[in-house]
Amino acid sequence: MPQNSTSTSPPAVAVVGSAIHAPRHARQRSLEEAIFAVGQSALLDAGLVIDDIDGIVVGANDQLDGRAISIMMASGSVGGVGRDILSTPSAAEHAFVLGALRVSTGQFRTQLVVAWSPLEVSSITEALRLGTDPYFHRALPLDELSAHGLQATAVEHAVPGIRAAALGIVAKNRAQGAIAYPDRAAAPREQEWIESGRPLRWPLTDTMVTAPGYGLVALVLADAAFVAERRLGPPAWIQGVGWATEAGFLGDRKLATVPALAEAARQAYRQAGVSDPVSSFDLAEVSDATPYQELLAYEGLGLCAREEWRKAQQDGRFAVGGALPVNPSGGALSFNPVYCTGLMRIAEAANQVRGRAGHHQAKNVRRVLAHAASGFAMQYNTVVVMGRERTEVRS
Amino acid sequence: MKATRVGIVGIGQSEFKPRRDDANYPELVREAVTLALQDAKRDLADMEAVVYSLAPDALLGIGNAERLGVDAVGARNKRFMRINTGGSTGLSSVAVGHAHVAAGACDLVLVAGGDKVGESGDSQTILNKIWDPTYERQLPLGTITMLAMSAVRAMHKYGMTEEDMARVTVKNRAHAALNPKAHLRKKVTIEDVFASRYIAWPIKLLDACPQSSGGCAMVLASERYIKENKLEAVWITGVAHCSESYFIGDRMGNNYVADHADAHALRESFERTYRMAGIKDPAKEVHVAELYAPFSNTEFHAIEAAGLAGMGKSMAMLREGAFHIGARTAVNPSGGTLCTNAIAVSAMARVAEGALQVWGRAGGHQQPGARVAACSGNGGDHQFFGTAVVEA
Repeated sequence: MPQNSTSTSPPAVAVVGSAIHAPRHARQRSLEEAIFAVGQSALLDAGLVIDDIDGIVVGANDQLDGRAISIMMASGSVGGVGRDILSTPSAAEHAFVLGALRVSTGQFRTQLVVAWSPLEVSSITEALRLGTDPYFHRALPLDELSAHGLQATAVEHAVPGIRAAALGIVAKNRAQGAIAYPDRAAAPREQEWIESGRPLRWPLTDTMVTAPGYGLVALVLADAAFVAERRLGPPAWIQGVGWATEAGFLGDRKLATVPALAEAARQAYRQAGVSDPVSSFDLAEVSDATPYQELLAYEGLGLCAREEWRKAQQDGRFAVGGALPVNPSGGALSFNPVYCTGLMRIAEAANQVRGRAGHHQAKNVRRVLAHAASGFAMQYNTVVVMGRERTEVRS
Repeated sequence: MKATRVGIVGIGQSEFKPRRDDANYPELVREAVTLALQDAKRDLADMEAVVYSLAPDALLGIGNAERLGVDAVGARNKRFMRINTGGSTGLSSVAVGHAHVAAGACDLVLVAGGDKVGESGDSQTILNKIWDPTYERQLPLGTITMLAMSAVRAMHKYGMTEEDMARVTVKNRAHAALNPKAHLRKKVTIEDVFASRYIAWPIKLLDACPQSSGGCAMVLASERYIKENKLEAVWITGVAHCSESYFIGDRMGNNYVADHADAHALRESFERTYRMAGIKDPAKEVHVAELYAPFSNTEFHAIEAAGLAGMGKSMAMLREGAFHIGARTAVNPSGGTLCTNAIAVSAMARVAEGALQVWGRAGGHQQPGARVAACSGNGGDHQFFGTAVVEA
C-alpha cells in the first residue's frame, strides 16, 4: 500500500452531527416535512443551528422522488434559501464526499449533507428501469435488483458453493439489526427460514434481500477550527475518502469483481495511512443490498480474499463479537432505503466513533471503515475511514 | 486556510444545433471531452476525477443518465460524481471541479456534460414537472411563463418595455453571428422581434432561447500542476452559489419574500464571488460578463445583480450602447443562453466563454483587452444561482 504523501494530506474535516430517520407513519408527514425533520435532528445532535451552516449538499434522485430537479423541493426544508446548496443525483454518498471536499477547500467551515429515499413512486422497479439504456437494456427488463441478481449469479459461479455463506451473512446482519433497531427488525432471521425463500431475481430470493424502506439521513460536517471554537464533540474525523466508478453497461463488466471498490479503498487507505486494513479498524459498515455484495466488500476492502470467504463466515470474524464486526447496524439486509442506504452506512460508522450509535454502540471505538455502493450491481463505490484522532498515529 | 489556486487549462465545446442526429447522447459528451483534452494537451488517462454536468434526467428520457456517460468521459475506476442544480448545473459542476482541486484531492479534473434538449420533444412539458405537484404544477407553469411574470413585474417596477427586451435580442444575435459555436446565428432587428409571435406576454419567440443539442467540457488543474508542466491557463478566482425559495407564489403578492423582477440571490452569489476574487467595483473591474439569461428580459436583472448597473438602470444603459462587444463591459459576447441553450451545459458554457475571453482566444467575438470575466448560471424556477470570476 503506498505511503501517505503530502499531496493527499488528510483533510481536517469531522462529522459532528447526524440523524437517521425511518418514518413508520409516512402518510402523516409530507416528504418536505420529513426532510426538514432529519436535517433539524442532525443539527440538534451537533449542538448547532441552521445559521451555523455555510453550505448544503443533498443527494436527490428525480426518479424516486417523482420530480424533475428534486433539489428544488428539498431546498427550503434543509435551509437552502440564501445558502450555497448543491445536489449529487449520482449517489447519496457523493453528497458526503462533496461536503467533505467543500470544507477541505477552506471556503466553507460547515456543511449539512442530507439524502432521502421515499416510497411515493408507484413502482420503484419501473422508476429504476428508466435508468437503463433505452435501446439495449430497458426491454430486458433490467432494474437494480435484477442487476444485483446477475452479480450474485456471477459470484456463485466464480466461487462455487458460496451460497451457504451468503445465507449466513443475511442471518448475521438480521440478528445484528434486531439488536440495533428492535422496532424495525427485519425477518426472517433464522438461517433455515432464510434458505426457504421464493426466487425473486435468481439466485436472490425474497428472504435474501429486504424490501425497499422509507429512510432519511443527515450529517453535519465541520472543519477543525470550528470544532475547536464551538467545542463540538466528540467528532468523527474523516481520515480518508475514496470514490470510484464502474462502467455503465453491465456487459462491459466482470460482475464477480468490483475493481472500482478496490480503487476507492486504495485512495481512502492511502490518505488515511492505512497499510493493513484487517488490523486497522474496530468495525465496518459496508453496503449489503445483497449478501453477495457484503462478500465483494470484504474482498474489495482488503479484509478477506474470496478463497477465505466461507471460512470467514463460519468463524464469525465479521460478526459482532468477532475480530472486525461488519454491519452492527444490521445493514441494508435489515433496512434498505434504496437511494440513501450508502450514506446511512457512513452515518452509522460515524456514530460509532462519536459514541452515538445507540443499542449497537461498540466499546472503545477508535477507527472505523465505511463502504457505500450505489447503482446497478455496485456501479458507484465510496470508501471512508473515520476515527477519533484527526490523523491516526501509525505504529 | 489558503486554498490551492485552480486554473482552467482546456476548453471544449461542440457546435450547438437544433438536433444532432449524427451523435447519440454519450457521443455528444465525448465530442466535447475530446476537444477539451486536445486543448489541454492531455489524455483521458491523465484525468484524476470527473464531475458530470447533467440537469433533469427527463430531458434525455433516461433516469440517472450520467451512468451511461461514465465511459464517454473515461471515468471507469476513477472518481466520478454528477451534479444537478437545474439550469445552473454547468456552473455548479465547475464549482465542484474547483472544490476537488482546491481541497487538494486532485491535480487534474475533467468537468463534462451534454444535452439533447432539441430532441426532447417538448422541454416545457418536462420543465413543468419541476413544480410542486399539489400547488403550482397545474397553473400551468413553465420556465417561459415563470419568467414572463418576472418581465411583467420589471415593466411595472422599472418601466422596462418590449422594445428594451428586443434590444437585448438584437445585441445577442449580433454577438452570436460572430460565434461559430452558437445555435441561433442570424442577425435580427427590433422589427423582426416585434413581428415574432407571442409565447407568453411579453415574451415573444425572438425573446426566447432555442432548444439546443450539444456538449461542453473543461479541464481544471492545480497551480502546482500547471507550473510543473508549463501549461497555459486562466484562473478561477471566485466561485459561489446562493438560492431563492421554491414557490413562485413566495415572490409575488403582498407577502412576497423576494421581488420577482429582480434576482436577489444572484446578487448575493455575485457578492460572495467578488469578495473571494477581491473585486470591489465590478462595473469598473469586469471587462466581460457571460450571464445566464434564457429570455431577453432576464438579462437586465442579471446585469444588475452582477453589479454592472444600478437597479433598474440597465435598460437605459443598453439603449445608450452599453454591453456590446467593445463597450466597457461586454455582456454575453458569445450570444449567451438566449442564442444557445443545451440546458445541462449552458451554465458551463458561460464559464468556458468567459475563460476564452480573458485568454484572448474568443476569435470573432473577442472583447478587446478582456482580463476579468464574470459568469453566472440560473437553475430551478429562478431558484439556484451559481457565479464565478475567471481572470487571465
